[in-house]
Amino acid sequence: MYSYIVRRLVFGGLTVLGVSIVVFAVLRVLPGDPLVAIFGPEGFTKLSDAERARYMAELGLSDPLIVQYFHWLGDIARGNFGRSFFRAESVADMLSRRGPLTAEIALIAVVLSWIVGIPVAIISALKPNSLGDNVSRFFSILFLAIPGFWFGMLIVLACLFWFGYRAPMAGASLFADPWTNLQIVIGPAVVLGLGQAAYIARMGRSSLLEVVREDYVRTARAKGLPARLVISLHALPNALLPVITLSGILMGFVLAGSIPVERAFAVPGLGFAMYIAVYERDVFVMQNLVFLYSIVFVMLNILIDVVIAWLDPRIRYR
Amino acid sequence: MTAADPDTTLPLDPAVAATRGIEPPRWRRLGRALRSFVRRSPLSAFWGCIAAAIVFVAVAAPVLAPYDPLKSDFRNMTKPPAEKHVFGTDQIGRDTLSRVIYGSRASLTVAIGAVLFGTTLGALWGLASGYFGGRFDLVSQRIIEFLQSFPDLILAMAIAMALGAGFGTVIVAIAITRIPFGGRVIRAVVLSLKEMSYVEAARGLGASHLRMMLRHILPQCVAPYLILATTHLGVAIIIEASLGFLGVGIPPPTPTWGNMLADSLNAGLVPPWWLVLFPGCAITVTVLSFSLLGDGIRDVIDPRLRGAVSVRGGKSAAI
Repeated sequence: MYSYIVRRLVFGGLTVLGVSIVVFAVLRVLPGDPLVAIFGPEGFTKLSDAERARYMAELGLSDPLIVQYFHWLGDIARGNFGRSFFRAESVADMLSRRGPLTAEIALIAVVLSWIVGIPVAIISALKPNSLGDNVSRFFSILFLAIPGFWFGMLIVLACLFWFGYRAPMAGASLFADPWTNLQIVIGPAVVLGLGQAAYIARMGRSSLLEVVREDYVRTARAKGLPARLVISLHALPNALLPVITLSGILMGFVLAGSIPVERAFAVPGLGFAMYIAVYERDVFVMQNLVFLYSIVFVMLNILIDVVIAWLDPRIRYR
Repeated sequence: MTAADPDTTLPLDPAVAATRGIEPPRWRRLGRALRSFVRRSPLSAFWGCIAAAIVFVAVAAPVLAPYDPLKSDFRNMTKPPAEKHVFGTDQIGRDTLSRVIYGSRASLTVAIGAVLFGTTLGALWGLASGYFGGRFDLVSQRIIEFLQSFPDLILAMAIAMALGAGFGTVIVAIAITRIPFGGRVIRAVVLSLKEMSYVEAARGLGASHLRMMLRHILPQCVAPYLILATTHLGVAIIIEASLGFLGVGIPPPTPTWGNMLADSLNAGLVPPWWLVLFPGCAITVTVLSFSLLGDGIRDVIDPRLRGAVSVRGGKSAAI
């Protein structure tokens, strides 16, 4: 087990390295001149040569690309995530101030997706092609097709329209002001959670349907166990394994999905910071945030792999 | 998990089997396939019709749209739906219905372009990497893994931002996020095809690598590719709308559903409901029709692919 974990971690490290190359290639090499990306083509032509040289030197852009790449990696390794080109806020500040909100949203969304998705999956798998099954399948397909940010906008509008309610704008930490904090995070969490619940319900349904056909489930039924116990004690634990894997993958997509959703709700989280960085063409913030998001994503998947290996003795730690 | 083993593929229509020697003309075979599709899953056929209708709307936009989508009318600003403007007007008096109709053009062009480039490139890459195996396969798999270590909206955002706004860049950005999915699925198909005896026979007859790939393996990849492509059309539409909403999509004057939603947030402290409702409904119906059509195609072509493609293709849509 330990060697499996170590192997996964080493492999994860390699993946992170590859990811860093992709991020660097996309955000530093592709745009050609980063100053064009920052100032836009028009603003760039207005800069004098001296200004250009000064900015380039200031940003460490006059070094060869490979040197820049290693500088960047070194900075990250030392915990120096750089700062915005347009604002005083450093990326580290952003992380500590905005990060918790997004993390809360992601966690609540995952919990919610399980609370909603698993019962729906059980209901549809117990009686396939019944009315309940068809209704829940229709809703899961519908929620896969609804863009989360639009759903969020509708919720904001509906709350205003019918209740005259608007969630507080300013960020509040969970410990200082739990009530305000909850009002801020609950909207995006519900939207992202329901979106994920649709996947979980679909996956859970097909996985339960497969498990229910297995011999040991039939044996449990044959010995006279009530259906409730057969499902909850015998079938469900095995059926949930693929759902856990899926949930890990979805977690990363919640992080991504929270970018437009946080914008729709105007939640001052990390996703909103990413939106601003994109909007302002802030290459450096974007580069670091994208890299950090992918690290979190890779780590989550390693964590899920290890959890699955621990839960499922059939997986040999090769 | 492939459509390969001869005795489990789509059962031949007896009429077709009887006339094996004389192949009916291509269009008649197509018609027969369509009829059997409608018979087998009428619901998907219905959604297929809706998808076709959306494509038609996009093509015929100039005829169908009652107003010019770019022309502002300062006497009718932010008007709620009424007889003259069925979907209302936005803050500078542009007709929302016309903009929604024209928006389908952007969405579909981007989605089809991205899938044609991305999923196809990925599929061809998967074909080559599965066929040749060895070191090429190993390196390809690693590269695909790196690309998959990004949630795809984030990767698309970064690429679109780096390349600058524009039609082509949005297509490229979304296409790149589609590559790994095509690569993975088709590679898995090819890996099992490679072991089939008919492929071995072709090799024994001295077929070249290119001939083996194109003539003997490629045709069997068409079914999984079609399923993947239809599912990805929906995903691509959602990513395109998200990019537009975040301001890195197709630049503003062009009406796209994502841009319209982003614009509605600038229409005042409270966005007017008609500016939010209609573009979003357009996105939802379009994505719904493509994904249900994809499900239907999958069920008819090869029930064993159930789950295999939809989970891989679908997980990316968690936006």
